[in-house]
Parts: sequence; C-alpha cells; structure tokens
Amino acid sequence: MSRRIITPPPAAHASGCTEYRTFEQRGVSRRTFLKGMVGTGALLLSRPLFPNLPFVAFAQTPREVDTLVVVFLRGGMDSLAAIVPVGEGAAFYDRRSQTAVPEGRVLDLDGFFGFHPALGRLQDVYRAGHLAVVHAAGSPDPSRSHFDAMEYMERGTPGVRVTETGWLTRHLQSVPWTNDSPFRAVAMGTLLPSSLQGPQASLALESLDGFELSVPDHLRPELEGGLRELYRSVGAGSAFEREAESVFSTMRDLRRIAADGGLERGNSGSLGYPETSFGEALRQVAQLIRADVGLEVACVDLGGWDTHEEQGGVEGQFADLLAELGAGLAAFYEDVADRSNRLTVVTMSEFGRKLEENASGGTDHGRGGSMLVMGGGVRGGVHTVWPSLAPGALDDGDLAITTDFRDVLSEILVQRLQNPSVESVFPGYRANYRGIVRPGA
Amino acid sequence: MHLEPSPSVDADLHLANRLTWGARPRDLERVRELGEAGYVEWQLDHAAVADPIVDRFLTEHPVLLEDVRGLRRALDEDYGAVYHQVIWGRLFRAVYSERQLFEKMVEFWTDHFNVPLPDLVPEKVVDDREVARSHALGRFRDLLIASARSPGMLIYLDNTFSNRDHPNENYAREVMELHTLGVDGGYTQQDVVEVARCFTGWTLDQEWRGAFVFDRNRHDDGEKVVLGHRIAGGRGIEDGLQVLDILATHPSTARFVSGKLCRRFVSDDPPEELVAAVTATFLATDGDIRAVLRTLFTSEGFRAARGTKFRRPMEALVAMLRALSPGVEVRDQWAVTWTLERMGHLPYNWFPPNGYPGSADPWFNVNGLLQRWNAAMVLAYASQGWTDGAITLDLSAVIPDAATIGELVDATWLRLVGQALDRGTRTTLLAALGDPRPTQRVTQEFRDERLPSLVGLVLASPAFQLT
Repeated sequence: MSRRIITPPPAAHASGCTEYRTFEQRGVSRRTFLKGMVGTGALLLSRPLFPNLPFVAFAQTPREVDTLVVVFLRGGMDSLAAIVPVGEGAAFYDRRSQTAVPEGRVLDLDGFFGFHPALGRLQDVYRAGHLAVVHAAGSPDPSRSHFDAMEYMERGTPGVRVTETGWLTRHLQSVPWTNDSPFRAVAMGTLLPSSLQGPQASLALESLDGFELSVPDHLRPELEGGLRELYRSVGAGSAFEREAESVFSTMRDLRRIAADGGLERGNSGSLGYPETSFGEALRQVAQLIRADVGLEVACVDLGGWDTHEEQGGVEGQFADLLAELGAGLAAFYEDVADRSNRLTVVTMSEFGRKLEENASGGTDHGRGGSMLVMGGGVRGGVHTVWPSLAPGALDDGDLAITTDFRDVLSEILVQRLQNPSVESVFPGYRANYRGIVRPGA
Repeated sequence: MHLEPSPSVDADLHLANRLTWGARPRDLERVRELGEAGYVEWQLDHAAVADPIVDRFLTEHPVLLEDVRGLRRALDEDYGAVYHQVIWGRLFRAVYSERQLFEKMVEFWTDHFNVPLPDLVPEKVVDDREVARSHALGRFRDLLIASARSPGMLIYLDNTFSNRDHPNENYAREVMELHTLGVDGGYTQQDVVEVARCFTGWTLDQEWRGAFVFDRNRHDDGEKVVLGHRIAGGRGIEDGLQVLDILATHPSTARFVSGKLCRRFVSDDPPEELVAAVTATFLATDGDIRAVLRTLFTSEGFRAARGTKFRRPMEALVAMLRALSPGVEVRDQWAVTWTLERMGHLPYNWFPPNGYPGSADPWFNVNGLLQRWNAAMVLAYASQGWTDGAITLDLSAVIPDAATIGELVDATWLRLVGQALDRGTRTTLLAALGDPRPTQRVTQEFRDERLPSLVGLVLASPAFQLT
C-alpha cells in the first residue's frame, strides 16, 4: 500500500490549469466554474475561504460536551517504532535492526517509552499534560486483514461483520439531545467511513470551499427547487431524500456562515499544518469548531502505514508519516487552543506490526498497536499495562493487547461526550476505564 | 442503503444499462434487435466486435502500447503527459469502446487485482494490458497467474523483496483474502506464512526490474503445507504455481468471486440462489468467466434487480458522456479527471489493495451527490461555453427538435434516460424551467437558456443515478 497522493503530478497540473485562468463567460464567473469542475486539492490549499468569524447557533448540543475528532491511521501503524519501548532493551532492539530508533535518539516520555523523534512537535502537548499515550491497545479479534480489522473497529463490534451501523453513528443516536446541524458529524474526505455508516445523517466533505451548486445564478432557485423535488419524489424518508436535503442544508448553512462574515482562518497559516490532504482536513475541522456550527464528531484519515518495505528508522517513509501526523495534530491543537477544554482527539489504527522485521526492511501485520488521546480533559502521560516483549508474553510472536480499543473510546464517550448508554454503542462489552480522561463538568 | 427493485424499469433498458457504461439509444436498439441472450452473446465475444474508435485512439496514443522500458523513456520526457494519457485512456475506452461488457469486466478486475498508478506508471500500464485486458473474459486461473507475475503486483505487494530468510507476507495474504478465497475462505495465519514461503524468489530481473523472473537463490525450497496440501521440498517456481492452482480451483474462490460479480452486476445484496447458481457454473467450468457471466445475466435474479444499483462516480460520469454523445466532445481531459478526483474516483488511484468500493454506501454521501449534480450541470452548460472549450456540447445533435415545451421535456428524458417520463417528474421538471405551459412553443431563446438546465436536471436526477 503506498501513500495516498491527492494531486496529480505538477507538470500536467499546471498546464491543465492555464486555460481556466482566463475563463469568464456569460455571467458565470470563473469561480463558479472552478467550484463545479476544477477545484482540486491544490487550489483549496491556497485560498482563504471566508474572511471572518461568524456566530451561527444551530445546535441544541449541551455546551459541556466535547467535540470528538477521530484520526484513523490506515494501514496498520507500527506503534513499536513510534512509541519506542526503550526499556525493553535487547528484547526489542535485537529484533529491529533497521526500523528502531536508537535509545539515544528517542524523546523520553516516562523513562521506559520514548517518542520517535519525528513526533517532536507533540512534545509540548505532552509536557502540558494534554496527551495520553495508550500502548499495547487494539482489537481483541485476531484478524490481520486490514479490511476486517478496520471494519471491526469502525463498526465497534470485533468479530461481528454484520453490524450495520458505525460506532459513532450509534453514539449520536444514543445521546439525549438532538442536533439538526448538517455539520453534526463530518468526515473529511470523499467517502463516508464505516464508523459513520447508518441512518444518522453524516457529512462527507471533501472541502468546505466551493460547496455550491454550479448553475447560473439567476436560475439557481428554480434549479435547486427542481433537484430537491426530484429527490423528494423518490419516496418520503428515503436515503435519496435525506442526502439531498443534507446537501441543501449544508449549502444553506455555509452560505449563512459566509454572509455573517465567514469562517475564520485566523493565524492558521503560521501554525505549521502539513501541506497535505491530512493537514488541510484538520485545518478545516478547526474552522468548523471555531465557527460553532454544531460539530460533535469529525473523522480524519491518514493512510500509508502499511510499511511492509523500506520502512526506515530515524529517517525514511515511516518517519515522514509520523512527522506529518505529529505536525498535523500539534498545529490543530494550537489552532483551537482556546477551546481545548471542549475537545478530545483520539487516534487509532487497525493493528500494530510484527515485532520481527521482514527481509524488505519493513514490518508485516502484527497485533498490539497504540492510541493517542489529546485534549484539555485528558490526563496526560503513558497509560499502559505493558505486556512486555518477553517470549512468553507475546501474542503469536507479537505485542499483546492489554487495552481494548473500546475501553478508551467508551471512557471518552461517557466522561467527555456525556453518552448515557455506552452499552448501545459497544453492545455486549463492559468497558474497563483507565482514567485517561477527567469527567467533564 | 437498500434499494427496492423498480418494476417500471424497462427490461431491455435494464440489460443495456448493466452490460454497458450507460445505454445510448443505439445500445437499446441493439438489445431489441438481438434479444437479451443474443446481446449477451454478442458482447461476450468481444474480440469479434469491431472497435474502430478505440483502435484509432491507441494509434494516436502509442505510449499506451509500450513496454516498461519504453514507458520509462516516455515518462522521463514528460511525466505528466503520460500519466494523464493513462487515466484518460481508461475513461476513453469506457465511454467509446463498442466492447462495453469487456470494458466493464476490465473495471471489475482492475478493482479486484488493484495496483495503483502513482509511483508505478510503467508497471501499471503493462499490468492493465497483460492482466485485466488479456483475460477479462477468459479463465480466472489465467488472470490469477498473470497477476502473480505482473511487475506492478510484485512491487506493489512487496513480493519482489521477499526471500527465504524473511518471507514477506503481504502478497501471500492478499492473494488469498482479496484475489481468491475471501477472508472467510478457510485459510489461517499459518497458511499465509506457508504461501509467503512458496512465493519466495518470485521477483523481478536485477538488470532493469521490468520483467518477472524466478530467482532460485531467494527461494525457500523446504517442504510446505498450504490449505492441507503438502508441497514437496526441493522444487522451485512450481511451489508458487501449485499454490495458484490450489487457489484457483478452491470452492471458496468460486464462491467469493461469483458473489462479488453478483454484487457488482446484480445488486449490493444479491439473492442467495443466484450466487449459488453462478458459483456452480464457476466450479463446473473451471472458472470460465464467459460461462459465469452467461449464467448471471440470463438469470431471473438479474432480471428482477432493476433499479437496484447506484452508479459509482466514474460510472455516472461516463454514463453522462455517453448519454450526450454524439454531441459532446472532451477536448481537455482535465475537465473530466478533476471532477472524478473531487468525487474520490479517479481511475487507478485507490491505494489499499481491495480496490474502489463496489457497493453504494460509501459513495452515497453529501459530497458525492453535490459533485455528481455539478458534473451534470457543468456538462450541460458546456453547450453555453461554460468550460471555455475544455468540453464542447452541441445539444442539437443530442436532443431532437420538438414543437412544444412539453414535448421537448418528454423527448429529452426519453433520449437521456431511455424510457418514457412519468407525469409527476414532468411537472417537477417544468416547474424548474420557469413553469411554462407545456403547450407553449419552443423558442430559440428557450433552447439556449433552458434546455441546458433541463439536460442538467435529467442527468442529475435519481433516475439517472440508478441502473
């Protein structure tokens, strides 16, 4: 699995662009056209959306509930290389000649574990006590298939493939308040992740920018009305009607926000967001948070962790990915610093990787991974029941799992998002809280 | 998302839409002329279908016929140009090839044996030609072997570096999970390890890394046990070939591939009897893909599943271009590929090994819907110069003349959707055109100003998104 590259190679990109720069015709501005046809990742990186901050009150969400941002690290992140168990000594380093950061180079966390130096930007958050590290975490289902393991996690039911809704969908369904904001649950990207599948309306947004119907302005009301009616006529309450209404309410609300002065971009340009789709996605989540549009949960993906080959050590492809992750999370946290008391970010990945390297300078699919939890309500530090890397402690040769991912998520949902019935989110599971977050006020 | 069948969809239209990338009037005529079974047979024998437009396209884009070495040379000269010819070549053939079912099967196998294009451009072009296009309607076993030896696959799933001391499990796992048995197909982690050992030595030539070689020095020639079969020690390339044979003939493979074909061509939730029937043909014919598709397309389950598939973004866009033929011309492919990128369905740009999603659920979302509407509108307004010449559209070559507005609306729907317009939708469309009386005469002004709106609405309508 290689890295996701959103924008095609630069040469042709530039040549494809030139023609459109001159476009202006029949009252249809170039901008309208760009919205419809040629807006790409590259374009949206460069422009501020709307200049100022509006206040739009939508939500009936209680003010004391955290916004939850779920970052899924797709491909199986090598937690042993990211959060290095230095204290294991030879039990670890003897198996990792190419993919382990030497003891002298790790950023110490607690004397036993240390961050890979590429996560350096998270050190400040860690020192401030806003970052919890949960090592040896994962799913009890032993599948080493990416797709099964991801589905089990995102549906929140390890080993059960027929679950029709995602864990975040069930959370939103089970809280006692209503929130009709189209921005209640947002996945940044072109596809809706399984964690948000189900009847609860969720938004997949490729970009906040240019979310507008490309039609001539003077015909807009009639054409919008026509589309709405065409989709309504499929059947009341149908998925078609629901999603079409959601398109219109999203457009309406983004327009209202823009009219009220826009989504504040603030000083985000100087925060050091990575110039990648991941960085841009986090920046836009920060914009939604600051715009008070009723955002309760957001999903952001970072792929490319399936490092079977040439993973690298202190430097290399894995280090680059970690740097992107660390810089993205740190920039995001700084961006919404004044709201950090109402924010929880959690990272997860479908599994960890093997303790033993393979012949390609990489690592194959393993077991135990890790989760990072960041926010003002987090009890910072390492929260790990470390199983050790002694031969007898391994699970089929790899890092065992001592914290079920549902333990971490349940605690966040109950303590920070005020979920009153977490048993409906993770049916049949009794969570074991680790004291990772403080109860919300 | 569960879609109930729509019995009101015409049976011939259903067949034409499912076997093509979007039925044009003459596709529908052809179905009526040959009959259902005759049309299926005609499309199954793809080599006998003349394809002059594609032949000419390939003559004009010879880089697509190059080998790895030639492609690398061309990429060195102009990387971007080659990259986009490859993507446009995929789209072009979907839109214009007369071998429509073949092109749909190429798409199916492209997802099934996914190898992404970026970073692997030369290898992907060869992979496309030698795997999916060589065997799309052939035998599953040949496809599987071609894929296992494909430089693109060997690099993508890391087998090229696997060796006897440290077998790499990536290909070994995915060949069972995604290409053959399916995740529930009855293999274990131990089988993954053993299969990885069997494929040690399946790599690329050291000189230019563009061709498959078997390197005995890297091969683990010890005894292995795969899915209960003992694989004797002391052998070479035969180990991997035997594994592919075991996998190609395994009942789980027949079941897995047949189920996936039914989900792609029938519905996201196909009836169990149909999957069983298709699986039986797969097993009885040793994976003859033509025979398998014959069973599928002539079944009751297929016939009954009208209106139950939601077009994937690329399918929708290609169908729009086909619906607007012969009036539409894409002069700058960027206008099309950027739209697909925004919808998350740029050809050959899915990075995990499972291929783009086949079912509606991940695609059916707010972003996807708006982008789809915008594609419809921008294509329709290309007739008014909206794309600055990137796409040109002459609607007079598409939509027949009509005396009254009511007749124009009816004719537009019939032309683009393929069957008659119902009263309720007619009222909706008229309202969206400024609510003229249906008996009002069509003026040139109406054709210029309102016909693009009408075309855009029809292409954006739910009816056009479903087949």
